[in-house]
Amino acid sequence: MKIIAVLLALVFFVIAILYWVGMFGGVHVKHGILFAALGVLALIWLRFQSAAPTRSR
Amino acid sequence: MTFPQAMFLAALQGVSELFPVSSLGHTVLIPALLGWDIDRGTPQFLSFVVALHLGTALALVVFYWSTWKGIIAAFIRSVVRGRFEHSPDEKTAWLLIAGTIPVALLGIYFEKAVQRLFASPLPVSLFLVANAAIMFLGEYLRRAQHAAPGKDYRPLESLSWREGALIGLSQGLALLPGISRSGTSIVAGLLAQLNHESAARFSFLLATPVILAASVLEVPRLFTPAGAGVAAEALAGGILAGVVAYASVAFLTKYFRYNDLRPFGWYCLLVGAGCAILFAMKVIT
Repeated sequence: MKIIAVLLALVFFVIAILYWVGMFGGVHVKHGILFAALGVLALIWLRFQSAAPTRSR
Repeated sequence: MTFPQAMFLAALQGVSELFPVSSLGHTVLIPALLGWDIDRGTPQFLSFVVALHLGTALALVVFYWSTWKGIIAAFIRSVVRGRFEHSPDEKTAWLLIAGTIPVALLGIYFEKAVQRLFASPLPVSLFLVANAAIMFLGEYLRRAQHAAPGKDYRPLESLSWREGALIGLSQGLALLPGISRSGTSIVAGLLAQLNHESAARFSFLLATPVILAASVLEVPRLFTPAGAGVAAEALAGGILAGVVAYASVAFLTKYFRYNDLRPFGWYCLLVGAGCAILFAMKVIT
């Protein structure tokens, strides 16, 4: 699952950058911000996967 | 657009953004009914609208300030910890994220195309009738759900991520001018067995990041020559929209403790049907 989170984050950040540099028919700032936010969420998901689980008694 | 017209539209925006009656629908219908020749596509008008949305969003932030502080703090704590502690604020934070992603994607890809197709008085009138039908149907289904004994209302924090995402997604219907964002999300909340108060609260919290982000991103418009041309209208309109929105959300949070959506349904049905007849028969063009 960690590898999926990393891949998703990468894909979302690349799409965000492509929107910002105008690769999809012009610069789309909002689209880029949305995909960057999705990238951050994917990293948060990775964080949740990586954190040590709590030990149950 | 004259100054009094601008102030009227600002007050209208403040009320109709939060009441489940479609703000976009009203900003199309009312100027058409009053015979105001306002081009909604000019840079000046778009700058003015940015100020109105900003005022509305800030009013929501101020009204729910203590709630937002708790939600943001709980969200940061959960990210730092890397696991859920299942507090109500934390659950609300993640439900808001789950609900915001689908509507943000829909809005970014389809908003302009949908509004280009339908933002004229006759389709808006018909969508307002559809908005009434959504609210009546939602109330009917809610009553049917709770007719069975033992079917209690749920607290907001008990929603699953999927239910949060579906409530958020329901706001996508409001891309159609005449369909209310708060109306559809409150109905979706009721169908998830929230009571009116919780459904409305979740709807208003869901609205805040979307309206705030959309308006903040458009703030540079206010500093263009077109924005400078309507600076007085934008400033006064933004403040007025904010004050009216604050009063509206204060009223609605009290209203939904004991009342339901049906009065808004009747309003949308009467106004929508009346306008549809007037525009279809070309009594008003």
